[in-house]
Parts: sequence; C-alpha cells; structure tokens
Amino acid sequence: MEPMIVSLKDVTFSYKGSKRQALKGVSLDVKEGECVAILGPTGAGKSTLACVINGTVPRFIEGKLTGDVVVDGQVPNQVGTAQMASRVGLVFGDPDTQLFGMTVEEDVAFGPANLGFDYEIIMQRIKRAIEDMRLQGLEQRAPHRLSGGQKQATAIAGVYAMLPKIMVLDEPTSMLDPEGKARVFSIIRDLNKSFGMTVILIEQEVDDILELADRVFVMKSGEFVLGGTPKEVFADVDELREVGIRVPGIVEFGNLIGADRTPFSVEEAVSIVKSGAFDVLSDTLASSGPNREVDASNERAQDITPIVEAVDLEFRYPMGVKALDGANLKIYPGEFVAIVGQNGAGKTTLTRHFNGLLRPSAGDVRLFGKSALNEPTWKLCSKVGYVFQNPDEQLFCDTVEEELRFGPMNTGMDKDKMEEAIRDILLDIGLDKYRQVWPRYLTKGERQRLALASVVAMEPEILIVDEPTTGLDWLESLQILDYLERLRREKGKTILIITHDMNIVSLYAKRVVVMANGRVIGEGTPREVFSQPELMEHAYLRRPQIADVSDILWGEVLLTPHEAADRLKRSSRMNREVAGK
Amino acid sequence: MIVEYESKQTPIHKLDPRAKFIWLVATIVISIIWTDPVYLLGLGLVTVIIGCIGQFPWAKMKGTFMFLLIVTVVITLIQGATYVPKVVWLANPERVAFHLIPGWIPMIGPAWPVRIGGLIYGLSMALKVFVVLITISVFGYVTSPSEVVQIIVRLPFVSYKSGFVVSAASKFVPVIQIQLATLRDAERSKGVDFDSGSFTEKVKKTSSMLVPLFANALSMADTMALAMESRAFGYSKNFTMIRPYQMRVSDRLMVIFSVGGLVASIVCLAVFKLGAL
Repeated sequence: MEPMIVSLKDVTFSYKGSKRQALKGVSLDVKEGECVAILGPTGAGKSTLACVINGTVPRFIEGKLTGDVVVDGQVPNQVGTAQMASRVGLVFGDPDTQLFGMTVEEDVAFGPANLGFDYEIIMQRIKRAIEDMRLQGLEQRAPHRLSGGQKQATAIAGVYAMLPKIMVLDEPTSMLDPEGKARVFSIIRDLNKSFGMTVILIEQEVDDILELADRVFVMKSGEFVLGGTPKEVFADVDELREVGIRVPGIVEFGNLIGADRTPFSVEEAVSIVKSGAFDVLSDTLASSGPNREVDASNERAQDITPIVEAVDLEFRYPMGVKALDGANLKIYPGEFVAIVGQNGAGKTTLTRHFNGLLRPSAGDVRLFGKSALNEPTWKLCSKVGYVFQNPDEQLFCDTVEEELRFGPMNTGMDKDKMEEAIRDILLDIGLDKYRQVWPRYLTKGERQRLALASVVAMEPEILIVDEPTTGLDWLESLQILDYLERLRREKGKTILIITHDMNIVSLYAKRVVVMANGRVIGEGTPREVFSQPELMEHAYLRRPQIADVSDILWGEVLLTPHEAADRLKRSSRMNREVAGK
Repeated sequence: MIVEYESKQTPIHKLDPRAKFIWLVATIVISIIWTDPVYLLGLGLVTVIIGCIGQFPWAKMKGTFMFLLIVTVVITLIQGATYVPKVVWLANPERVAFHLIPGWIPMIGPAWPVRIGGLIYGLSMALKVFVVLITISVFGYVTSPSEVVQIIVRLPFVSYKSGFVVSAASKFVPVIQIQLATLRDAERSKGVDFDSGSFTEKVKKTSSMLVPLFANALSMADTMALAMESRAFGYSKNFTMIRPYQMRVSDRLMVIFSVGGLVASIVCLAVFKLGAL
C-alpha cells in the first residue's frame, strides 16, 4: 500500500468552550505529490481541518481533539507547531495578516530565520522562493505597497522558503481581484505540478479547481459529504447544490443537456456538443435566473433623467495617487448596475463620491439632476446608501435591532415608520430571531446581510454595495444578491454593486460598467461586455466559461448554462425538423 | 508628521544602521549641549545636507515646518520677554530690541521689553527642536523599522521576541488608522455628522467606533499570531539575522564623523566655550 503523507482517521474536534463539534469523524488520506481540493460553505470546518494538519489545532487554538493525525510521519500534536512548520506550510486568505517583514525579502526570510538556518542558506532560499513565486524585482518593496496578488504570492513565498513538503492554502484567493486570482492559481499549479509539492487547497472558486485538483472533498457541518475525483464529485450536481456549492457553469451545462460525460473544460463541452454526445430532449431546463428580462428594463431606463451622474470626475489621494482621471457615468432609476475592473481601477473611489465621502478635485457629481458637491454626507445618506466591503467595519451597536435603528435615528426618521421598516427588514433578511444578539456573534454571511440591512433601513433610493460577496460562500452570496434584486424589483431601488465575480454579474446585473485607470472604459449589458474580448482583457476580466462555450459553438455570448442549453435545444429541434423534411 | 521610511538606494540608505544610529545619537547630544544659535544653525545645515543625500522629501514636512515656525516665534518672543542669559560673545545682552506692547499704544505701552539676550536664547531653543526633529525624520526616512529592530535586538539585554513585538506594534499603527478612517466613513454614511455638536457629543459619536475598532484589532492580532506560529516564530533562540551587518569604509567614516564631531564639540565647549552662548 502506498504511504500517505497526510493521514487523518476519525478526527473529531470541538473548540474550547463550545459544545458543537467543528470536525465530526473526519478521515482523509493524501498521497505525496497529490493536489486535494476541499470545498464547502463557510463554517463547514475547512479551516479547522487545515489547522489540525499543521498542528495549530489544538496546540495553539485550544480544544478537544480525538482521532489519529499523522503528517509526514509525525503526530503534529506531539511535535509542536513550530517544528511542523518545516513540513506543512499554511497560507491564509488575508495576506495582510501574514506578512511580517518590512520588505518582501525580509518577509520571505522570516520562516527560515525563525528556524535558525545559516545566513547563506537563508539567502539561497530567499532567492529560490522569489524566483519560483515570480517576485523578482520586488525584493526591496514594502509588502503593504504590493498589489493583492503580489502580496499573496509573497505570503506563499514566505511559507515556500521553509521548504515544506505539504502546502495547505486556506482560501488564498478570497480577497483578490481576477488578475490576482489568476496569478495565485498559476503559482499553486507550479507548486504541485512543477515542484512536486503536496497541495491541500481550500477554495470557493470551483472553476479553477476542476483542472487543478486530483481529488475533491466537499465538507458540510464538520464532515465530508462527497469525495473523489473531480469527475465523480462534480457529477453529483444535486448534492453539490444541496450543500451550497456553486456548480461550475460548464458542468451544469453538461448536466442540463444530458451529456454522456461531464465536461470539465470549455474544449470538452464544445467537443460533446459537436460530437452529438448529449440527449438534449432530457427536459431538465429550469428558469434561467433573474437576468431573463434584462434588456427590456434597460431600454426603458435610458429615456429618463439619470438618478446619479458623474461628470469628468477627477480625484487624487493625499499621497499623490490619481485615482480618477475624468470618469463619466450615468445611472438610471431602477437599474441594477455592476461596476467591474481590477483593484486600483477607481471603482470604490468613484462610488464614494456619490454620497459625499470623497469630494472631487475636478468635475461634478449630480444626484437627481442636481449637483451634490456641496451636500454633506449625513444629508446625502438618506438618498444614497453605501454598504462597505467588510461588515465588521460598519456595525457599531450592541444588538441587531439597535444596529438597524442607528441610521434611521441619525437621519431623523419618524419612529413608527422606523419600527415598521425594521420589522419588515428583519423578516426579509432572515435575522428576526437574532434581534437581541450582538452582531459579532453572527456568521460572516449574516453580518454582511445585517450591514446591508442597516443601510436599507434608512430607505435610500440608491444602494451602493462594495464587493458584497467577498469571503462568502455561494449560498450566502446568492442570499445577498437575491435581496438586492428584490429591493430593485419590489421597491424600485437603484442598485450599484462593485464586484469581481463574473458569475454574479451574469446572473444579476442589467448593465455592466468597466473601469480601468480611473476611467470608465466600456459599458453595456453583460452580454455586450462579455462579447468584447479586448475590453475584457484590458480590464483583466475573465468571462464565465459558459460564455466561451456558446461563443465557440454559435458565435453568440450566452450568460448562463440554462440559456446555452436552451439554445442547443432549439438548434437541435431545428436540425431535426430540417432532417425530417 | 513624521515621514515614513522609503526603500531607496542612496548612499545614506545603504549605510549600516548602526552607523546611522550613532549619527542620530551624536547629533541629538550635540544639539542639546550647544546653545549658540550660529553653531546650531551649522549643525542643522549638516543634517539637511545628509537628508538631501538621502533624498529626503522635504515637501512632505511643509506642514510640520509651518507649525514649528509658529512655535519658534512664540518661544523666541516668550524667552526674549522673560529671560536674559549671559551671552559670552555679546557685549550687552540686556539691551532691549523692542517691546511686545509698543510705546504708541496709549496707557499700557511700552511694556514687556524683549531683550537681545533672551531673543538669542529663544532662537537657540527653537533651533534645538528643529535640529532634533529633522534628524529623527531623516533617520526614520533612511532606516527601515526592521533595521531599528535589528539595532535594538543586538543590544545585549534585549531579546529578538521583544524587538519583533516593537516592530509588529509599529506596523499596526497605520492599519488601525485606516480602520478608524473606514469606521468613520461608515458612520458618516449612516447619517452621523462629526462636524456639529458640542465637544461631549463629538466624543460620544467617536466612542461608538471603539468597540468595532478593538474587536477588529483583536481578531487581526489573533490571525497574525496564528500565521506567525505557522512560520515557526519562537522555534529557536538562534533567530538568524538576515542582515549580518559589516562595517564598510563609508560606515566607518560616518561613525568617525559622528563620534569625532561629538567629542570635538564637548572638548571645544568645555575648554574654549565654543558653541555656548
């Protein structure tokens, strides 16, 4: 029998002071050189599992651990975390909390220096780590001045320099823009395929895992509910949906058309359709989501006065960075607009002008047709609500209920009206049972919903939501976006989201605004924007894989697997009718 | 505002941090013992030249300099009006230069005479502040905080862990500042008007940010500690310094220049009263 580099048998863990089991009888064997992906909703126990493997649980994070854990021939709990560090490297999602040096070089040296290696060895390792992680030229750069992708590459280099046999990466791309994600995934691929490292990857990005992982495990409530090769796991679409994992677009497409095998790449999906290896008459087509009536509502919007308008907006931060360089944008009442672009494109800076948080150095901001440059934020906020990216930076009160009252009380809303609104909102966002709970005790997804609701409670006509899905799993993301869509459809709110997630854009946005270098460089419906490869490339965006499939097959960009399956069904019928005649 | 460290390849940046530290200490000591404004001006000039070689961004200090200028004027006038020291090289330090309340103001003028000796003494005090501040700023600009930690941990009575804690704490300051700014913006977005209201009301508005600020800081510190543990922090007492500093010719020259300057100024002051008022 082949020896396993990671072997967990019937592992159970409860955090100190908690009765709930974070891990329930988990068993996992990983071969040397394998790439294993672990998926699951937030709170499933994925991070706990990562910490068990490197020994920080239970030596650093206390609790009760039972079962057998053997990693590279060692029992982490007996050996100690620091000694395990040279066997298991652990990389976290937020690069800012794991960079300790004043320069990239110093940060990479941190681990080997802690292990007490000689200066010459450390310098050799720094050189190798920096080369392998493609950080050449950045050695003397301060980590906080790097882009998100470069920061995460530095964090990985810091762990890699300790030459561990196993690399555990806990959602390493969760806070990155598309360019950063692509960089990190490419590095992970190198770690496993080129440098032969064993990789355990905890992720939410299912598309990238398909081709990368040798095996995939799905966790829910502290246990594995699915496990096997990607083909085996992703073939069980119903179970994945049940757990709350996003089914990759092309896999879902294959499922909808009754493909004889599950496609895992654009090429495979195209080949299945071209070879006719599908049974399109298996009538499984469901509703294709909220974006069906996109174009009609958009045309209607163009005829009326913009509710928000940015005119030749320029802005320079005190440190001298020009974040906006003549940005122009019009938003119409009742629209659902997604602003996209890589980090530093000016998305957040632009939208922060709409409620007066920032004032332009040149240009104008018009709300409801009037200049809003002289209106203070505390007045504008009842018209333009702004939800920040991190819920923990916008929840101030002791209970959920108080949090919802905070804004309306500041804006002087009528008390009866306020209480009625709060009652409705709490029911609407599913937090009614937590009225008296301290917001910090809620899960990340619940906190994000509460942060959004606390702004909705002020009843603004325009809602700006900055990166509403960062750090959330797919189900939590859908809950947030569904709520926003309901606000638009039922209450006529105008919604602006800033996002990097093109799947979200496909499903919800009526219009997409693409930004780069402080300017709006393109806009249109998702279909129009995804049909412009040069624009997408310029903004470092990657359209959903199903759009690639439909573009290759029929020369048109379709947004969802349902649309593509629908299209295939129509063309198959037509072909059959032609053949029949 | 103290200017943040910037990684550059200037001759001053490249100096051994110990040499830079010795220069810092020597300059501060000299500025303390000298009282003659002409000498202090000379010392300030040398510091400015060193700053220029290190490409110090003087424009960023404009606000600080304006504030110091106001402080200088106030200190000089108060000293001039209240204190008359013995000035070695001045024949009559008690000579009145002007009155704070001039003679043309009826009933109360002239009053509060400002004397030459006091003015020179006030100027000297203000120049000391200038020199110390510029020296610390230039040092901070050309020496990375980790180099400072490296200096501290090389002291015989300081452990690496203590030095690292100092470094980590210094890294936390800008993070906390950014968080505070975001929390403030989030409150403004929920209708909080920070510009109006009494002092007590303003304090109350600000205090609501403290709980999330501390909670976030604690959570961040927790993750940082986990990440440090995962990178073997504290594994070995023999933490390897990645900069095994070696004194080069330029470093030795800086040390000789600094220590020599310090010794010479003490001797000249003690023997020839050079540098004293």
